[in-house]
Amino acid sequence: MTYIENIYLCLASPILLAVLCLRKEGRRILAFILAGMTACLLSAYISTYLTGVADIDRSEAAWEIAPAVEEIMKLLPLVLFIIVFEPKKKDAIIGSLYVAVGFTTFENVCYLTSYGSADLLRVLIRGFGTGALHVVCGMIVSVGLYYLWDQAWLRTIGAFTLLCFVITLHAIFNILVNQPGAVFWVGSAIPICCIFTYLALMRKRIDLA
Amino acid sequence: MIERAENILQIAALLFCVGISHWQAVVHRSRAWVLAAFFFGSYMMGDIFWMVCLIFYGKTPQISVISDLSWFASYSFLYLLLLQTAPTKAGEKRHWLQWVGPAVSLALAIYFMQWGEILSNLIYAAIIGLVFFASIGRLVERDRYRKQRFLAVMAIVICLMEYGLWFSSCFFEGDSLANPYYWFDLMLTASCLISLWAIKKAVAE
Repeated sequence: MTYIENIYLCLASPILLAVLCLRKEGRRILAFILAGMTACLLSAYISTYLTGVADIDRSEAAWEIAPAVEEIMKLLPLVLFIIVFEPKKKDAIIGSLYVAVGFTTFENVCYLTSYGSADLLRVLIRGFGTGALHVVCGMIVSVGLYYLWDQAWLRTIGAFTLLCFVITLHAIFNILVNQPGAVFWVGSAIPICCIFTYLALMRKRIDLA
Repeated sequence: MIERAENILQIAALLFCVGISHWQAVVHRSRAWVLAAFFFGSYMMGDIFWMVCLIFYGKTPQISVISDLSWFASYSFLYLLLLQTAPTKAGEKRHWLQWVGPAVSLALAIYFMQWGEILSNLIYAAIIGLVFFASIGRLVERDRYRKQRFLAVMAIVICLMEYGLWFSSCFFEGDSLANPYYWFDLMLTASCLISLWAIKKAVAE
């Protein structure tokens, strides 16, 4: 059995101390990463609870419940940040990427604790597959919000619609990586292909400033 | 078999639309084309999710909220696209005909509650009602929105095809071309392709 709350305490405490010590941008970046890790911990609890309530098995919950819960939880820190601090466009948008990074880092640590790190191929697939998916979802929300930032109502509807979009993407990915054989490899390759396609089309890395 | 072939055809058509919209968005740095890409992309994701469930699990999802979410998103992006290409002024007086759209979508939502979930029907009614409201507004103000009226017509057609799909899935069964469901779905696919031209015209304004 993996005690994810213990892992969370171990990983989060130095980050929390650094957040207290740092100022301005450094503090904000670490706070977003911490928020992402917290979102991951909470979504694990909520997914487990909802799976019990809906009375479905764990594999089915992986594509029916977990994507919705995880993406909503990832968006919440950003929503809170926008409502409370009324930040600049760039700060809020980049924030969603940091939250995704924090989320996937914590998820990967829990995965490694549960399944071990001896199998390099599996670890790579985890990092560049599931790990990259969270970054892709964060990127979609970031780029979408960038174009829909001008007015508050546009931002609100935009955030909802982008959330719906990434939940579906996440659910499709979870179905594919739960299949054996070639489908698994195709599914695992989707996030990294999305990132490379995006970079090829834009011909530059994200600079939303 | 027909359902799967028809789904693949629709996904391919939507993928083409996403590609064109994305390309236009990158070339012109246009927000309207980004919204169009998300509109087609969301609809395509819902289709893919539904088909993947059928292929790998042989059943539609027990909790169908995921595919519904992507279709909610799709119609919301269509609404945002209408607003983006033809913005209205704050405090502007609305034409009475515009209210017909939300009234029809609400009435249909109440009717479809016999088969579907209450909440999802209400959300569809709200989003499609907004699309109708914005589209009819652009059609009644024909002089002001000359280039955008084609997009408004296509938005209404797409919503009507969606309702056609719902009606046919309630009253007709069977995996044959005699089922009007497939005809509505094919017309919806064609409408999406024609919408590309309508968006190009609306954006050119």
